[in-house]
Amino acid sequence: MEQNKSKPIGKICIPGMRLCSANKERIGGPGTNVLQGYIYAALAGVLKTQEDEKNKVTVISVESPTTPSILPKPGDVVTAKVTVVNSRVVHCIILCVGPHLVRPYRGVLKKEDIKSTDKDRIDPYKCFRPGDVILAKVLPLTEIHWYHLTTAENELGVAIATAEGSPQGVNMVPISWSEMQCPKTLVKEPRKVARIVPDYFDQNQVISYTDAENESKPINDPK
Amino acid sequence: MPLDYRRFNGPDDSVSYKRFTPDFLKSYEELLGDLLEKNNLKDEQASDEAQRVFAETDTISQAKGSAYVEIKNTKVVCSVFDPREIPHQNEFSHLGQIYCEVKFAPFSCSSQRRPPAPDAEDKALSEALRQAIEPAVCRHLFPNYQIDVFAYIIENDGSCLAAAINAAGLALTDAAVPMYDLITASSMAILDDKMFVVPNEEEEELAMKSQESKDINHGVITLSMLSELSQITSFIQIGSLETDCVIKAMDILEKECKELVPNIQKVVVRNVIKNVKRQQILHESAKEMEEILDEKYNLWQKSLKAKSYLCFSLSFFSLLA
Amino acid sequence: MAGSLISQSEQVFIVHGVENDFRSDGRSSIDYRPMELETDVVSHASGSARLRLANTDILVGVKTEIDVPKPETPGLGKIEFFVDCSANATPEFEGRGGEQLANTISSTMQRAYYSPQAFNLKQLCIFEGKQCWKLYVDILILECGGNLCDAVSLAVKAALFNTRLPCVKAALMDGGNIDLQLSDDPYDSKQLDIGTAPLLVTLCKIGTKCVVDPSAEEERCSVISLVVGVTGNPNFYQTDDNVIPDIKCKCSTISMNGPGSLSPKTLKSAIEQGITAANCLDNALGDALLREKDEISYLKKHSYGFLK
Repeated sequence: MEQNKSKPIGKICIPGMRLCSANKERIGGPGTNVLQGYIYAALAGVLKTQEDEKNKVTVISVESPTTPSILPKPGDVVTAKVTVVNSRVVHCIILCVGPHLVRPYRGVLKKEDIKSTDKDRIDPYKCFRPGDVILAKVLPLTEIHWYHLTTAENELGVAIATAEGSPQGVNMVPISWSEMQCPKTLVKEPRKVARIVPDYFDQNQVISYTDAENESKPINDPK
Repeated sequence: MPLDYRRFNGPDDSVSYKRFTPDFLKSYEELLGDLLEKNNLKDEQASDEAQRVFAETDTISQAKGSAYVEIKNTKVVCSVFDPREIPHQNEFSHLGQIYCEVKFAPFSCSSQRRPPAPDAEDKALSEALRQAIEPAVCRHLFPNYQIDVFAYIIENDGSCLAAAINAAGLALTDAAVPMYDLITASSMAILDDKMFVVPNEEEEELAMKSQESKDINHGVITLSMLSELSQITSFIQIGSLETDCVIKAMDILEKECKELVPNIQKVVVRNVIKNVKRQQILHESAKEMEEILDEKYNLWQKSLKAKSYLCFSLSFFSLLA
Repeated sequence: MAGSLISQSEQVFIVHGVENDFRSDGRSSIDYRPMELETDVVSHASGSARLRLANTDILVGVKTEIDVPKPETPGLGKIEFFVDCSANATPEFEGRGGEQLANTISSTMQRAYYSPQAFNLKQLCIFEGKQCWKLYVDILILECGGNLCDAVSLAVKAALFNTRLPCVKAALMDGGNIDLQLSDDPYDSKQLDIGTAPLLVTLCKIGTKCVVDPSAEEERCSVISLVVGVTGNPNFYQTDDNVIPDIKCKCSTISMNGPGSLSPKTLKSAIEQGITAANCLDNALGDALLREKDEISYLKKHSYGFLK
């Protein structure tokens, strides 16, 4: 059934197409679903296979050329914009799930979930400001209409921020894990800074990277 | 029914002029005779029903996914939107919901103008459409949210539900909503021992109409299925049919739905190729832009370095002096 | 459908029970729960019936009104079904909560009664093209204990059996208008011919098997159910011996309810199972209605009132 079109496109899949059997070596990735021991395509798109070195499995996934209609899942890394900061929670709007732009969903970041250490002394005002663009991870769903997020990882936190009084478009530069500085006005402001991994948007890599990180001792966490 | 005062509603008691045409006054038998005669003519021209379906995706740019399906003269547009919050919901649900709305254009039917407000038939069709597409969607992927599916029937020439289901299935695929399988639907009108696959409006109406002679089979069946998984997602029958007849019709419709699958697949593949190409073009142009920016950046940095070197040497010389 | 909450282990228990053809209340897969039927319970309606099927409680009232027939069907009357899911049944029905369920049931009923072989609208004609009877069948769901469709269709058929249309004594033509004169005598009325009126049978797929008359808990365990509307046999509804040639039961409507799907094979066997069940049901209903009718003509000895 698979049509082998001109090379650059690859193998095209259609929902309901049986791709292969699911076993220890092959598991279904995004865009597929596993039914009765077989992996089926769930989206119309291009077949992608990816070897996972660590677990010795091949992940079979279907990549749609258009943005798939999906919602943030627990564990997904999302890009969000902070809208409200108060002493207990930070409200934000989710803009992207992984690499995909989505309809804006509401996200909530509780005070305890901002950092992994020193949880009692977190002050949200010293971590985020409205207008900041942050990277966060989705927590399991507990409420109906918003997603709980966490930034309690080194790679998560503020990605883009502008200092108070600085003109729009001049973004601050991180100078430590908890401070950013404006290159123009040289104003320093406290933030929960994300350590941006160069190739951030490859989700699988990020996850494996952070896992490895957690096992070894965190580098810039002050103990 | 409450009137919609924002629209011009027209006189209340107007009737279609067709009531006064000679066709209207024809008896059931005459109509049947006419129909059979017409069909005899038609049969001579090869009528492969599956070939009469025209489908296209991505017709509405504003929607996440959309499709346009034409079966005979029936024309349906369907659009699908991103998941959104379920209004007035206060209970946690692990499965997402699908909200369907089927609407007839006021000028879609031959007999009478459809009122703009949804009536009982619209609601029943919406419910039937939801029933048909719900099993095909991986609803566990969007808990507490709903996907909106809107089908608009522009012209109704029979088997409009089947057309709407086909369109909705394509639109969902186009919107990249995760699905278990492609969904296809077909319908049939039964009149005594005659079976009209994908009936037109005349055939459908006649099959539903009251019979003078008692006890013959008559009715309309619409069936939708997931062919790869061989599951029937909806089966709607109306009329009066013997069991054997229902089962025979079911077999034919099943075959019909399966024959429709390659057509739908073709449309989906075409859509994927189009989108992949579009994506490639976007990628290439993005790369070009990036290269240009990089070049500029390098140039700027070089000149900055030269400048700072100049400044440095200048200050060095001034110090010396 | 609406109703009770159920735990995972209860679900497993019910599914396993159905697999072994032994359901949680001791029935087999083709058994109905006990029913109570009473007709003529509402004095202001032309016909009424109350049906209690275990925990499901349905009250049906039929109101008759005079209307103008549709131009395309001058010789036919009209019948319309309205379902009201009372919030008494479950708090979920409050406000517009029961609307979707009500729409589903009423459209299924409308479809089932559509064919003239199921319910002949000709009997509702008064004066062709000018006036006809319109039956408003109002269905009230007072308690929800599963299997609403079947209970509703039984109650509706009973209520229609109980309906009396006043006899038209004379019609005066005055120009284009018609003046009807109805008889004053409440006993001077005619009955409807409802022998062929359809009954709905819900077949609930639990595990791999289909069961009839699911309880609310069983409905929770299943993702798909099939509703089959089957025309009745007029012989069950008359006492005198002039036997009408037996009419074969036919499907007047089939539809599916629920988020799941069915394989073609299951669907076929379920349709056949439904027709057998409907036939038995029709026979039992006919017996009960005839008995009830006798009692009414004797002046009812004991009346229960409709919420016992």
